[in-house]
Amino acid sequence: MRIAVDAMGGDHAPHEIVKGCVRAAGLLSDIELIMVGDQEVLEDELQRCSWSGEGIRIHHAGQVIEMNEHPALALRKKKDSSIMVSTMLVKTGQAEAVVSCGNTGAQMAAALFAWGCFDGIDRPAIGTLIPRYNGHTVMLDVGANVDVKAEQLVQFALMGQAYAQAALGVENPRVGLLSNGEEETKGNQVTLSAYARLKDLTGLNFAGNVEGRDLFSGRADVVVCDGFFGNTIIKVMEGLMGEIHKRLQDAGIDSRQLLQDFDHTRIGGAPLLGVKGVSVVCHGSSQAEAVYNGIAQAVRCVNHDMVASLNHSLAVVR
Amino acid sequence: MEEFFEQARKILAEQLGMDPELITWDTTFEEVDADSIDIVEMLMALEDIYDVEFPEDNLEDYKTMGSLIKALYQVIGGR
Repeated sequence: MRIAVDAMGGDHAPHEIVKGCVRAAGLLSDIELIMVGDQEVLEDELQRCSWSGEGIRIHHAGQVIEMNEHPALALRKKKDSSIMVSTMLVKTGQAEAVVSCGNTGAQMAAALFAWGCFDGIDRPAIGTLIPRYNGHTVMLDVGANVDVKAEQLVQFALMGQAYAQAALGVENPRVGLLSNGEEETKGNQVTLSAYARLKDLTGLNFAGNVEGRDLFSGRADVVVCDGFFGNTIIKVMEGLMGEIHKRLQDAGIDSRQLLQDFDHTRIGGAPLLGVKGVSVVCHGSSQAEAVYNGIAQAVRCVNHDMVASLNHSLAVVR
Repeated sequence: MEEFFEQARKILAEQLGMDPELITWDTTFEEVDADSIDIVEMLMALEDIYDVEFPEDNLEDYKTMGSLIKALYQVIGGR
């Protein structure tokens, strides 16, 4: 399996990305990593990382999309950017998946422009698995679309349902809409409009509005929201877990094992759902361990044929 | 140029799920909630139809449908 890694994207690129690739090449079997970026820079980094010489090759890309650039417009101007070239490697059959810690909007737009979305899906969403006491809750979107229309939330609900079926094996997942109250009348205009459409949608097990705490209550298998709220929620969770860890540490309690399910470093990344390919979005602040886990996540998505499963599940409700 | 404009607004309207008649020369992209991805997707569709590559410069400077279409029309040389 060949995985294209955008080696220039991220707060700690390229050093930590290369370190993560070297780790993945050593630990994951039957994979070839294609590190995409400046050839000379990446060769130097590989030397610094004591690379064994196996499992990695470099594909040169001369441009980088910075974190503060306007995603879609930057992609037009920088066709030789590491994220665009990585995505094109999948389109041309030279890789099976993309992993990036770079500009999320650019990663989403690259997948959208190069691969396209499934029928009936306008924009991809990032879907992540939130660990709860006795399982997981799928949450989407956690950052690809800051502003959404009601129709897009409906599409996210269908994608979330399909992802829960594919990733969690839940046959008829309950799909909730994140709001500031359970009642139908609660929410902003987009949420109210989405609720009205979702409750009449056939083929969807709509659980109504859910609240933030329901990410952990098990009331819904899938929680749908826009990328602004979704991203804010996961960042709050990261901060809260750090705070709890520090307090337990002060009390002499080793919480690492207890909290490891919530450690974004261990989760690695989350796939873009709705596009015709595997693109795993990693935290911009990812260091080597997170990069390694993001690559492992991409391998799982390919091994489980996530894209085909998703398309199949979506086709059933279309 | 009218035909070019018609093509463009048809593409954009389809992407946005709205009536093409609601998009005029003076319509701003903000008014119809078209973001940069919608605009780039429209450009890519027009590039396919007219077999041309539009320059990448200053796309963000065009606020109305009309101003962008006039600029693009110069690139296709009035075909």
